[in-house]
Amino acid sequence: MEGNIAILGYGLSAIGPGIGIGLIFAAFINGTARQPEARGVLQGIAILGFALAEALAIFGLVLAFVFQ
Amino acid sequence: MSTPVLAADGGEFQPPGVGSFDFPPIVAGITKPMVLLVLSIIIVGVFFWAALRKSSLVPGKMQFAAESTYDFVRNSIGRDMIGGKDLRPYLPLLVTVFTFILVNNVFGFVPFLQLPTMSNPGVPYGIALIVWLVYNGAGFARHGAVGYLKHQTWPPGVPGWIRPLVTPLEFISNILVRPLTLSLRLFANMFAGHLVLLVFILGGEYLLLHGGVLGMVAGPLALILSIVLMFFELVIQFLQAYIFTMLTASYIGGAVAEEH
Amino acid sequence: MLNENTTVLAQGGPNPLFPHIPETIIGLISFAILYFFVHKYVVPRFEKIYQERSQRIEGGIARAEEAQAEAQRTLEQYKEQLAEARSEAARIRDDARAEGQQIVEEMRAQAQAESDRIVNQGQAQLAAQRSQIVAELRADLGRQAVDLASRVVGESLEDETRRRGTVDRFLDELEATSAPSGSTSS
Repeated sequence: MEGNIAILGYGLSAIGPGIGIGLIFAAFINGTARQPEARGVLQGIAILGFALAEALAIFGLVLAFVFQ
Repeated sequence: MSTPVLAADGGEFQPPGVGSFDFPPIVAGITKPMVLLVLSIIIVGVFFWAALRKSSLVPGKMQFAAESTYDFVRNSIGRDMIGGKDLRPYLPLLVTVFTFILVNNVFGFVPFLQLPTMSNPGVPYGIALIVWLVYNGAGFARHGAVGYLKHQTWPPGVPGWIRPLVTPLEFISNILVRPLTLSLRLFANMFAGHLVLLVFILGGEYLLLHGGVLGMVAGPLALILSIVLMFFELVIQFLQAYIFTMLTASYIGGAVAEEH
Repeated sequence: MLNENTTVLAQGGPNPLFPHIPETIIGLISFAILYFFVHKYVVPRFEKIYQERSQRIEGGIARAEEAQAEAQRTLEQYKEQLAEARSEAARIRDDARAEGQQIVEEMRAQAQAESDRIVNQGQAQLAAQRSQIVAELRADLGRQAVDLASRVVGESLEDETRRRGTVDRFLDELEATSAPSGSTSS
């Protein structure tokens, strides 16, 4: 079997952000369902949170390449 | 699953990898991303120029499109993140960042170009460096050197015993890591998206041509899926341009804001 | 493209995290040019349009307010005039009524005076006529009575004083008898 074990690290690092992003958007959907008029404000916050959570997975991907 | 099929055909399938992003020079050291970069600023420039050439209070079609873009950056991103009175000096930067990244990303969707320029990390690094300089410079100008460092690393209301932990973390996350995540997020999204598309298209093509009976079914399916994915990528491309601009605005807004 | 890349792939490929330096430089130059264009042309132009638009809207609002104020003013004026006219009309009516009253009073007074005058005149005339008639009748009656008496008695009543006394006495008697009826009739 060929490949790089660093890719496994990326896989592991994607778990946490995956869960986090799921929670963020679940909360966003909940909030919008309860208060549709707050959608605009919530959207900005949700995407900001999404970007911040995503950073961790990106580190995983980058480190996978760094230790190639 | 595909290994026996490939083995039967005899030819070895080379999956697209990081090498797919290393373009040989077209002429004299000029590569495809360079052409795309120049093309992108021509597109944006002509777009705005054509829209504003005969600008009027009642916008025409062209002006309306340009105005929607500008309005989106100005009101949806800038005003939310920076706030009214500090926005104006940073508005050109936000508009440039958004349009530049958006056009370069959407190149990944345009037929014949088919390459998001930002899937090569050079340009994202450059833009992130500019953003880093701008937001730190803005903070220094506003609060002074010590004031700015305190502003970024000394969140009020934190108990004293946890300060030794919080302050270095805040410094790392606010000053050091931000440009890295900013550029790498853009680069990695474009890179991964493009790579997935390549896998689907090249793999589908290979299956169709060399895959035998099973490949005749799987190949077209993969190609159809690649079209669906392309539209998905279009959303991501737009979203990444939006996120990059929003984070830029957010960093600047955080740097020039008064005490929390 | 795939064929060209296979050789690279065989070597493991370049690390994708390393920037392609010329590309970065081109990217930064492009970015700078675009920034310059946006900074010098696009943003000022758009801001000017926005400002003009908001001024236009504010100007429109101001104009509308002015028009409304004007309308309000006209309405006030109109109402004022109306009220004035109404009070004027009421005053005129009152005046007319008072005048009419006055005229009626005057007429009545005049008529009263006239009638009084006529009545007085009539009474005076009547009194004059009556006294004239009485005087005439007295002379006449005296003469005739003397005549008659002289004829009846056959003697001449030469003595003037005696004759007058007789006649007067007679007439006083006559008046005394007719006095109650004469006083009620006047």
